[in-house]
Amino acid sequence: MIGRLWAIALNTFREAARIRVLYGILVLVVGANLLAIVLGEMSIHEQARVARDIGLAGISLFGALTAIFLGVFLLFSEVQRRTIYAIISKPIARAEFVVGKYLGMALVLSVLVALFAVAMALLLASQGVAVSAAVGKAVVLAWCEVLTVAAIAVFFSSFSSPFLSGIFALALFVIGRVTPDLRNAAAGADAPWIRTVARTTLEIVPDLHLFAVSGRAVDGEHVTVHGDFVSWGYVASAAGHGLLWIAALLVLSCVIFQRREFV
Amino acid sequence: MARPAPSDDAVIRATDLAKTYRTPFRRKKVEALRGVSFAVGKGEVFGFLGPNGAGKTTTIRLLMGLCSITAGSASILGQPVPSREARQRLGFLPEQPYFYDYLDVVELLDLGGRLFGIAAAERRRRGDRLIERVGLRHARGLALKKFSKGMMQRAGLAMALINDPDLVVLDEPMSGLDPVGRKEVRDLILELRDQGKTVFFSSHILSDVEQISDRVAIVVGGKIQDVGRPRELVGHAPLGTEVLLHLTAAGDVTAGAAAPADALAAATAAITARADKVRAERDELLAVLGPGADVDDFLAFARGHGGKVVSVTPRYETLEDLFLRRVEAARAPAAREAAS
Ligand SMILES: Nc1ncnc2c1ncn2[C@@H]1O[C@H](COP(=O)(O)OP(=O)(O)OP(=O)(O)O)[C@@H](O)[C@H]1O
Ligand SMILES: [Mg+2]
Repeated sequence: MIGRLWAIALNTFREAARIRVLYGILVLVVGANLLAIVLGEMSIHEQARVARDIGLAGISLFGALTAIFLGVFLLFSEVQRRTIYAIISKPIARAEFVVGKYLGMALVLSVLVALFAVAMALLLASQGVAVSAAVGKAVVLAWCEVLTVAAIAVFFSSFSSPFLSGIFALALFVIGRVTPDLRNAAAGADAPWIRTVARTTLEIVPDLHLFAVSGRAVDGEHVTVHGDFVSWGYVASAAGHGLLWIAALLVLSCVIFQRREFV
Repeated sequence: MARPAPSDDAVIRATDLAKTYRTPFRRKKVEALRGVSFAVGKGEVFGFLGPNGAGKTTTIRLLMGLCSITAGSASILGQPVPSREARQRLGFLPEQPYFYDYLDVVELLDLGGRLFGIAAAERRRRGDRLIERVGLRHARGLALKKFSKGMMQRAGLAMALINDPDLVVLDEPMSGLDPVGRKEVRDLILELRDQGKTVFFSSHILSDVEQISDRVAIVVGGKIQDVGRPRELVGHAPLGTEVLLHLTAAGDVTAGAAAPADALAAATAAITARADKVRAERDELLAVLGPGADVDDFLAFARGHGGKVVSVTPRYETLEDLFLRRVEAARAPAAREAAS
């Protein structure tokens, strides 16, 4: 089974590595970082702040967008271009195919996140600022978020067109980011129907806010990547949360894919 | 060589197989297969014949487990469809195969080999041999994106054979190939048979099917019309006789015409009246006689009118005749239905 998963994952990685847009994104993010530093007349302290903020935002925003893009297209194009025929007529379970596909995307996204992170670290180093543990934690959190978003995209594309899947996945990403506001609404909105909608949404949407807490309050304490940040314990529990979502979404995708007709 | 008819150890068995396609939302139904039954014995080359839209690809999709069976049942290599165990010993070439743009044929076969759990060294060895076998050596490093239709077909054949399968299912293996390529595929299929493999292939190139199939099935409108050995399916009674004549005006004794051209025309007219169908070109004349005609009598008559007999050929029914007859017969009631 490992061999087959790896075969699909490797092939997916190869496919994604051929997509030129990804390199464009990479250049864009690194370029944005550089631009912010070069253009801004700031003290070293401020420059480091900007480098961290833009770097981390780049990782999670572009990472998530790339995750949606890959998740939506890579599975769909296999069906669309009928390359899948020659694969699933071989002794591979459809579930193995879906999971292998996801693993391949996860690999691509991990490499992308790592490249973003290295670029950010180099930039910080060039300013004479060491990479703090907080930044490390933030990168790991962003990485977990990107992988979760990829699973969301794969889930939608297991039954729907790329366009719709993209919209759905993007919507979940945005809603998942504003769960604290939803929680406020669920608790304190005036109209009861708003409370109900907010509560239901919270039930079905992955809590992506967990992965982007810098500048927010965690357990009543203000955390920021520039100063006091979350503990490794928090990172681990957030990662666990993400992993559960990924597992659940992949199981659902496999079940749906199992029933699909390839014509 | 006569092959035993398939018994219960059939490599492929379809029983009352039916498939109705449903378009989601619109709820339109297409009955692509309406109860198809056949069995393919071990070591057979089985040709699956049918016009466009007959249901060949649909049958193969069901057998390969690509889509769900609406009614009936099917088994492959003794396992009910879909079965992963059976797929381990199966090779499949999809209709108009398409593979990953960004791989070359070596990488494609490597991927195929991995899915069967074949070890790396063996994968490479088999890949090399198959690339050689399907004639793609010159294209080893070329991205599949740059493959021509025929090259893609060849890559697909190699992909279908990477696991040295016991059963090979090919959906239109000759489509997109030039005459040389078609001959190569025919040879490949016969070679597979000689290795003891079973080959099931669909096609509408009748001459190809006739040449290499041990048995054929003709499917029209989602139903099997005939199954059997090609030579048994087509009748033994001659459909008629073709007589090729060379006309010499000088030899005509009855016409007595002055000009040779007139004599030729007169002879042609006389002979034409005696035959069922005639095609004449200058002094050559091809006459077609019906099955009951007295050929001897006709030849004597023709000779008497200045005809020299070049050849006399009995016409038997070909697979093509049978095929066309079946398609015609299946369409007639459908057309009547549509008209009323
Ligand atoms: N995905 C589909 N949805 C709806 N109808 C379909 C679908 N695929 C095939 N059909 C219909 O099913 C029938 C059989 O099609 P099929 O592709 O099996 O024919 P075929 O014998 O392979 O033809 P060809 O020689 O053209 O390849 C046709 O009427 C076709 O229109
Ligand atoms: Mg077809």
